[in-house]
Amino acid sequence: MDPIRENQQLLTRRTLLGRSARGLGALALASMLPRGLAAAPASTGANGLPGLPHFAPRAKRVIYLFMSGGPSHIDLFDYKPALREIHGIELPESIRQGQRLTTMTSGQTTFPCVAPMFDFQRHGQHGTWVSELLPYTARIVDDITIVKSMNTEAINHDPAITFINTGNQQPGKPSLGAWLSYGLGTMNRDLPDYVVMISRGSGNLQALYARLWASGFLPSKHQGVKFRSGGDPVLYLGNPPGIDATTRRHMLDGIAAINEARYEETGDAEIHDRIAQYEMAYRMQSSVPDLMDLSDEPESVFDLYGPDARKPGTFASNCILARRLAERDVRFIQLFHRGWDGHGNLPREIRGQCKDTDQAAAALVMDLKQRGLLDDTLVICGGEFGRTIYSQGTLTKDNHGRDHHGRCFHTWLAGAGIKRGFEYGETDDFCYNIVKDPVHIRDLNATILNQLGIDHERFTYPYQGLDQKLTGVEEAHVVKGILA
Amino acid sequence: MTSLLLLLAVTWSPFDGERVEFGRDVRPILSQACYPCHGPDDGKREAGLRLDRADVVHDPREILVPGSPSGSELYYRITTDSSLERMPPETALHQLTSEQVDVLRRWIEQGASYEEHWSFQPIRRPEVPAVRHTSWPVNAIDHFVLERLEGLDLGPADEADRRTLIRRLTLDLTGLPPTLDEIATFVADSSPDAVEKLVDRLLASPAYAERMTLAWMDAARYGDTSVFHADGPRSMWPWRDWVLDAYEHNLPFDEFTLAQLAGDLVPGATLEQRIATGFIRNNGTSDEGGAIDEELRVSYMIDRVKTTGNVWLGLSTECAQCHEHKYDPISQRDYYRLFAFFNQSVEKGFQTRQGNAAPVMTVPAADQGRRLEELETILQATEGYLSSVQPPALELAAWAEDQRQKILALQVPTLTPWQALGPLRAGSSREAFQKTYGPEKHVDLAAKTAGLFWESRDDLVDGAVHALALPNNSALYLYRTIHVDQATTRSASFGSDDTLQVWLNGESLLATEVYRAAAADQNRLVLDLKAGPNRLLIKVVNGGGQSGVYFKLLGLPVPDAVAATLGAERSARTPEQLEALRDYFVRNVWSVGRRRVTELQSTRNELTTLQQSIPTVMVMEDLPEGRPTYLLDRGQYDAPKRDQSLEPGVLEFLLPMPNNAPRNRLGLAQWLIDPDHPLTARVAVNRYWAMLLGTGLVGTVMDFGSQGEFPSHPQLLDWLAAEFIASGWNVKHILKLIVLSSTYRQSSHRRPELTDLDPRNRMLGRAPRFRLQGEFIRDQALAVSGLLVDRVGGPGVRPYQPPGLWNEVSLDKNVRFARESGEALYRRSMYIYWKRSAPMPAMTIFDAPTREKCVVQRQRTNTPLQALVTLNDVQFVEAARHLAERMMRAGSDFKKRLDHGFERCTGRPADERRRTIMRSVLDRQLATFRADPAAAAALVAVGDSSRDESLEAVEHAAWTVIASMLLNLDETLNRE
Repeated sequence: MDPIRENQQLLTRRTLLGRSARGLGALALASMLPRGLAAAPASTGANGLPGLPHFAPRAKRVIYLFMSGGPSHIDLFDYKPALREIHGIELPESIRQGQRLTTMTSGQTTFPCVAPMFDFQRHGQHGTWVSELLPYTARIVDDITIVKSMNTEAINHDPAITFINTGNQQPGKPSLGAWLSYGLGTMNRDLPDYVVMISRGSGNLQALYARLWASGFLPSKHQGVKFRSGGDPVLYLGNPPGIDATTRRHMLDGIAAINEARYEETGDAEIHDRIAQYEMAYRMQSSVPDLMDLSDEPESVFDLYGPDARKPGTFASNCILARRLAERDVRFIQLFHRGWDGHGNLPREIRGQCKDTDQAAAALVMDLKQRGLLDDTLVICGGEFGRTIYSQGTLTKDNHGRDHHGRCFHTWLAGAGIKRGFEYGETDDFCYNIVKDPVHIRDLNATILNQLGIDHERFTYPYQGLDQKLTGVEEAHVVKGILA
Repeated sequence: MTSLLLLLAVTWSPFDGERVEFGRDVRPILSQACYPCHGPDDGKREAGLRLDRADVVHDPREILVPGSPSGSELYYRITTDSSLERMPPETALHQLTSEQVDVLRRWIEQGASYEEHWSFQPIRRPEVPAVRHTSWPVNAIDHFVLERLEGLDLGPADEADRRTLIRRLTLDLTGLPPTLDEIATFVADSSPDAVEKLVDRLLASPAYAERMTLAWMDAARYGDTSVFHADGPRSMWPWRDWVLDAYEHNLPFDEFTLAQLAGDLVPGATLEQRIATGFIRNNGTSDEGGAIDEELRVSYMIDRVKTTGNVWLGLSTECAQCHEHKYDPISQRDYYRLFAFFNQSVEKGFQTRQGNAAPVMTVPAADQGRRLEELETILQATEGYLSSVQPPALELAAWAEDQRQKILALQVPTLTPWQALGPLRAGSSREAFQKTYGPEKHVDLAAKTAGLFWESRDDLVDGAVHALALPNNSALYLYRTIHVDQATTRSASFGSDDTLQVWLNGESLLATEVYRAAAADQNRLVLDLKAGPNRLLIKVVNGGGQSGVYFKLLGLPVPDAVAATLGAERSARTPEQLEALRDYFVRNVWSVGRRRVTELQSTRNELTTLQQSIPTVMVMEDLPEGRPTYLLDRGQYDAPKRDQSLEPGVLEFLLPMPNNAPRNRLGLAQWLIDPDHPLTARVAVNRYWAMLLGTGLVGTVMDFGSQGEFPSHPQLLDWLAAEFIASGWNVKHILKLIVLSSTYRQSSHRRPELTDLDPRNRMLGRAPRFRLQGEFIRDQALAVSGLLVDRVGGPGVRPYQPPGLWNEVSLDKNVRFARESGEALYRRSMYIYWKRSAPMPAMTIFDAPTREKCVVQRQRTNTPLQALVTLNDVQFVEAARHLAERMMRAGSDFKKRLDHGFERCTGRPADERRRTIMRSVLDRQLATFRADPAAAAALVAVGDSSRDESLEAVEHAAWTVIASMLLNLDETLNRE
């Protein structure tokens, strides 16, 4: 519609509803919102979209432990004793079914199946099979749901990691965290809505990309803010040499006073927003260092998260920070741990990767639980795809590799209305195809939104003539089966 | 109260009983609420009903009965309370508001007439409307704007003051602030054409070209890296420099378009026209190990269709990649016909992480080109001499006889020419060195090995160092047989750049991982030759830079071919053999010839060095034989419908292909720039408008389709588009028209009477006031501080950036950002090296896109991180201390100094109120720094550049604080 008429209509309608002229400020705001959102029901608060959440949320916040590179579902959770019997046999065509492989292994002349070279035991009341590599995770199996039937079309890292984080294999779409920041707004005046932390394992590293936490076509204020262990914890956070907090305060007061003068001269209300943003920047200068300073954590916490937790920049240290961010009501906290790409030397590499992550990830769940935060914090732990049952390269007595495998992989979830002590989905005897309850990565994303009180079908942003959604144009379903 | 009354007056009256216009009022409703199930998409149409076409009135179901809402099924369906019958269904995303239902009712009452979508209709230059306030308009633009305002009983805003105007114009047209002299000149110029003179000066400046190019770089998804997987470096800046040049010389937009989409296909294409096609190659490419070539290749073509649609058509075509478009009449078949234009490209899907992928072209600078020609002339002349000169016959004969005697005493092996396999790429030189690609085990010259065929390299003659031109981290195998009649032992000399491995008859003789320049005799091996053919295999890996190889079988004083000649009876020597003998003698024995050979070698060396220093750029090149294009089922690269071969074709509903236009990219470009094309000119002028007025006349700059916004001033848009075409697609002409208009020159101060009525300022009752884009904020800081280095063009630069940003995401563990020093720190921000997986944060924080995909309009947000950049980034603190130096040098009293800085940053000196505020901060800071001189010294030492040591550090630091505040004022960060 003609933009001016559109505004006039809104004005007319609201005027008829008896709003005063003063109420029109809010209305002006509504008309600046994308089509379809302006007409949504009244907001429930914060600075999120009106009408959101769509229904009562189970989760207030999300901690996503992203295992970059594609952890092997076969060597960690998707165990069946029958795997021992197929060790060394050629992958039957009835299982592979002509599915496409990456060009790293599609030229192999032989596809020998490899059973895990690790011991597995059942744990918890549920009797969940867990690899010996994850002794700490084994202790929390009764608190989590393991989805064993995740799947994606992508078979290479770049498209796969972009797909799961942004809902599309091609760049340009907003990340999950950006969508949440956009839709639900902030719960914290002093910290960003979406925080990203990166750690590096000892395994084969794959690249990450700014687009994985970027805002795509959403306003850039929704992009993930990286918290870093070296230098400024947030880029440009520290005052320059010679400027202390007092000087900074005087500067900001002076800037604000002149900005206020400019507001009076121009009438531009955005000037007040700028003043507010400068104030938030100032608050971040103390709130972020406070957050990053673990010196107030008791010994017992470091014992819980493990020895690495004292080393800034490790996954374990980032897990403590994630809990601290959750305590401060940051909406979406995403950790990327790199190094899961086990093409060769998988047995050795995955052992190191598990050592980096197992204790701290389990500790995080336990810690949140004992602090009463697990009820409304959704914790997710998984990667962009799984790995092949067959060996990439030569299978020897104690070594092998596994190629990328998108047809099934695992992700575990905990807290915020997710079933406790549960496993969902099944794969075949070769951990190759899903035989029951497939969960596409779109379904996972729809489920995450659902726990936050968002109907993924109705959470849209108009861009280039389309109502864009995190879950894209293909069908996606909330995985009701994992909800308590 | 007045404003409220006015508000009611203007909001009520226009609608009551007013005629509904289909394109403006009705289509947006139908498109949003109905087309998803009752629109152009054949694949998802409910009840066989199409509401996007006029013939629906003939539907026997009486969907639409003109004049009778109550008789129309459509109206019943949107008003009924029955949830079973109600449309849109409850589950639909978009429900109708009561206003929308009312619009549809009135539309049916008024005859339910359809019109084609406005932007698909031909552009006709509208009559310029009359206005009451006749003295206000400067040009036609103002008539259209004022007519609209007067229709609401409103007048325009006052003209902005001179200082605001020059700062606005300078920032809008060049991305830089005006200098103090420029401000003074303009303020003092009372001539009637003062503004025009200013605009002409700005449009003629190189900074104008930089400003325009920067906007185009977003649209063209320009980057200095390849995006996917390793996101390796590439060099596309020669393309960017072509764009700079095009804007500087005001290349007409039609030629600008044609060169970039099809410059290579223009008969007799110039170097520049071919460089321009780099536009198409700017898309992200992948080098991921497991990737499927065709999947990648197809994805590049999809990106190109998208980019072309967004940039020239203002349409999103993506929907039709997988199914018929839901809103616009673009079928899947249409989509793949567009795709077919690009699908002819010769390039591969799997591309490199190391530099430019083929096809590329070298782009020598003018002086380089001249020297290149000179060197080639010298080479030719010397070669000509050496290949024809007749040495003294007696000298030759004596030498030959002497050699013959020596040779007859030896057994002469027969060597086949070298066969080569490669280059074979790897992620690292170590990997390339260690990896077994196949020939180690078995050589079959006829078989494809590691994806490649063996190639004969008889140019690699023995006894000379040969350059191999291997890419970094790649391997080359060389293979030949050595035949001897009886078993014997011969030593051989090897050289390589870099690593060398040697096998004889399958047995490894040498594996040395060294990184070196190739020379003769770097390794010497003893070859145990058995009777018959012996298989010699060598492998060379290039770790970086140049590469080369050297081989010679020793034991003979001359090369084998010459030895064979000398071994033959004199009478039995063929003319070719005699020539070989002469040639060898001239080049290696005869003193005159040898001198010339030395000259030749040094010329060659210079040529090689020069060639390696000449940049390349990726360009377009089509397969001569063409590539068939098929409709891809659901957009899947591996699901071509082989029974549906498609010829390249355009969107005929917009305009048929021009007569005689070739069915290739050249034809596509000619179609886009056809004066009858309904979209190209509208989309382009709308983008210029958005650049200068903050918002497009069509607010959805990227969407002119049925889901896009209806123009705020449709006639103005068409007038500008028609003017653009009629002017010969003259970009500067259109920009000048816009900025000279009274509309543009209005004050940006809010008008209370408009704030409620038109909060988005779509009626243009004032000028917009908006934050500068990130590049301009940094450039402004560099300019006002005097640090800016205004060199135009060249490779990307790496200024200050927080440490570790590349490394924390990079594929290899050690891809590190290496900051440059010197002038690279102070170049304009458009030259910042753009690594697309980890772009410069000080830019992305200010809404710069990653440029992985085409973006034609940036967001404009306001965040705390932005405050942190301008307050704390070294770049800005360093600029502040230099601005402080300038302020201190401007005079000794406070007012002079402050005014100097204030005027540089905002175009105006400080007023009393501001002065008081700044005075109090300065006094406090002077006290603070006097008490803590170390802090003062630290502050004035920020950044690489030197400081004026004659200024007292405490005072300098206090003024640096003031300067930093100036750089952070809202009025500095905004264009007003």
